Amino acid sequence: MHNGKLITHLGPLIMLVAGLTFAFGAVASLDLGSFRRMGPGAFPLLVGALLAVLAAIGLVQNLRAPMATEKADPIAVLGVVAGVSAFAFLTPLLGVLPATAVAVFATGSAIPGFRWPLRAALAVGVAIGVWLIFVRGLGMPFVAIRGI
Amino acid sequence: MEMFANLSLGLATAATMTNLTYCFVGVFLGTFIGVLPGVGPLAAVAMLLPISFYLEPSTALVMLAGVYYGAEYGGSIASILLNIPGTPSSSVTCIDGYPMAQQGRAGVALFATSVASFFGAIFGVIVMVLLSPRLAEFALLFQPAEYFSVMVLGLIAASIVSSSGVLRGLMMVCLGILLGTIGVDVNSGDTRFTGGIAELRDGVSLVVVAMGLFGISEVMISLRGATQSYAGQTLRGRDIYPSWGEWRRSFLPALRGSTIGAFFGTLPGTGQTVASFVGYALEKRVSRNKDNFGKGAIEGVVVPEAANNAAAQTAFIPTLTLGIPGSTTMALMLGALMIHGITPGPRLISDHPDLFWGLVVSFLFGNLFLLVLNIPLIGLWVRLLRVPHYYLYPTVIMMICVGVYGISNSLTDVWATLAFGVIGYVLRLFRFEPAPMLIGFVLGPMMEEYFRRAMLLSRGDPLVFLERPGSAALLGIGVLVLCATAFPVKKILTNLIARKGTA
Repeated sequence: MHNGKLITHLGPLIMLVAGLTFAFGAVASLDLGSFRRMGPGAFPLLVGALLAVLAAIGLVQNLRAPMATEKADPIAVLGVVAGVSAFAFLTPLLGVLPATAVAVFATGSAIPGFRWPLRAALAVGVAIGVWLIFVRGLGMPFVAIRGI
Repeated sequence: MEMFANLSLGLATAATMTNLTYCFVGVFLGTFIGVLPGVGPLAAVAMLLPISFYLEPSTALVMLAGVYYGAEYGGSIASILLNIPGTPSSSVTCIDGYPMAQQGRAGVALFATSVASFFGAIFGVIVMVLLSPRLAEFALLFQPAEYFSVMVLGLIAASIVSSSGVLRGLMMVCLGILLGTIGVDVNSGDTRFTGGIAELRDGVSLVVVAMGLFGISEVMISLRGATQSYAGQTLRGRDIYPSWGEWRRSFLPALRGSTIGAFFGTLPGTGQTVASFVGYALEKRVSRNKDNFGKGAIEGVVVPEAANNAAAQTAFIPTLTLGIPGSTTMALMLGALMIHGITPGPRLISDHPDLFWGLVVSFLFGNLFLLVLNIPLIGLWVRLLRVPHYYLYPTVIMMICVGVYGISNSLTDVWATLAFGVIGYVLRLFRFEPAPMLIGFVLGPMMEEYFRRAMLLSRGDPLVFLERPGSAALLGIGVLVLCATAFPVKKILTNLIARKGTA
C-alpha cells in the first residue's frame, strides 16, 4: 500500500486505541458496580467501547474511500512550541514580562518575512501590553520582573 | 406584568457602570477579533475566558456574550470587503456583500449589515424573553432520564455539524466525554485515569482544553500564512447610507431572516450557519429582486446577517434554560458559568434571576453599542485589515499563555495547554474537528451523573430511557437527526444557491 494512504488510516486508528485504552483501563482498575448502582468504571467502559466501535467503522470506511489528510507544517508547530516553552521555562527564572518578550520573539521567528527589528518591537510592545492589562488592570499576582 | 418586573431587575443589573463597561469592552474586542479572518467567535471567547474569572459571574457572562455576538458581527466585515468570511456563518454574506464592494458600495453593504444585525439581534432577544421562562417551566418536569436523553440529542446535534462527517463528529464527542471522566469520581471518590499525576485529580481544566484546541492549534495552522495583509477600500462617510428604496426593500427580508434565525438558533447544533444559509435560500425564492441575488443585492446581505444575529441570541435559550449548549461557543459559556459555581438548567432563571435577566438586558445594550460603535468605526475596521497579520499571532499566543498562567498560577497548566494544542493540531491534520470534542467534554460529566441517577431510580433497568415518553421522544428525535444526515442539508442548500446563482 502507498505510504500516503497508510497515513490516512492513522486518524481512526488513534481513536480506536483511545477508546480501547479507556475501556480496558476502566475494567482493569475501576469498580464497574451493578446496573442499579453503577461504579466509577461503568460509564467510561460504555463510552470507550462506543468510541472503539465507531472508530472500527471509520477504519473500514476509510479503507474503502480514504479521507485525505492535511499537510503538516513543522516550522509553524516548532515556532509555537518554542514560544510557549520559552514562556514556561523563563517565567520562574526571570518573571512574566521578560518571558513574554522572549516568547513573542521566538514565535515571530517562524513567520517568513517578519524582520527582526519589527519582531523586537512587537516583543517589547506585547510585554508592555501584558503589564498594562494583566498586572495593572486586572491585578493578577504575577512576578513581573524577578528581582524588581 | 411579571415580565416588566423581570426586565427592570435585568436593567438594574445590566445598567451598572461595571457591567456597561465590560459589555462595551466585550463587543469592541469581539468585533476587533471577528474582523480578522480565521479567528472566529470561538477563539475570541476562549482567549478571554481567563479574564472573566476575575469578574463577578454576571459581569463575566455579559462580557463573554458581548465578545461572542461582537465577533459574529465583525465576521461580516471581512466577508464583504475581502470575500473571506471571518466566521463560518458569515460565508453567505460574501455571496452578495463582495459584489457590492466591487461595485464600490462596500459602505452601503456594511451599513446595511449593521442595521440588519441589530434588527435580527433585537428580534432574537424578544423571542428569548418570551420563550425562556416557558421552556424552563416545562423543563422542571424533566427527570434524570429526560436530562440524559436531551444531552444525547445535544451531542448528536453537535456531531452532525462537523464538516468531516457525522461519524468523525461522534468519535470526537466520545473522546471529549472520556476526557471529562479523568479525575475524581464524584459518587465514589475514586480517582480515574490520572496515571498517578496529582494535578489531574481535579480533572482537566476547561480553559486548558479550550485554549489548546482552539487557540494554540489555530495559530499553528495560520502562523506561516501570516505575511499577507489585505488591502481594503477607503470609505467616505456619505457613501455608506442606503437609498430610501433600499431601506424599504430591506424591511421584510430582515423580518423573514430574523424569524428563520430565531427558530434555528433555538435548535441545538444547527446554529447560525444553517440559519443564514436557509434564510438566504428562502429569500431567493420569495424575493421580487431574485434576479439580482449573487450580483450585489442588498437583500442578500440583510437576510443572512439578520438570521445569524437572531440565531446568536436565541442560542442562549437552550444553553441557559436546559443547560444544553447549542454550539461550541455556548459550551464555553456554560463552562464559564460552572466555574463560577452556577449550574445552568431550568432553575437558573428562578435561582439567579438577576444574572439571567441582567444578561438579556445587556444584549440590548450590547447590540446598541455595536450599532453606535460600528457605523463611525467602519473606516477603522477597514484599516485594521491592512495591518500585517504577523503582529497578530505571536500576540495571541502570549494572551493564551499569560491567561492560563494567571488563572491557576501554575506553569503545569501552560504545558498542558501546549499539549492540547499539539493534539488539536494533529487531530485537524487527520480531519477530526475539535469542536464536538469540547461539547462532549463539557456535557460528559453531567451526562454520566444523570445516567447513573436514572439507572438507580429505575432499579437498574436500562429500558427507562425508552419507557418514559419524554425521554423516548428526545432519543427518537436524535435518531431522526442522525438519519437526516444521510441527506446533507447544508450541501443541498449550497448547491441550490450555486445553481440559482448561475441560472
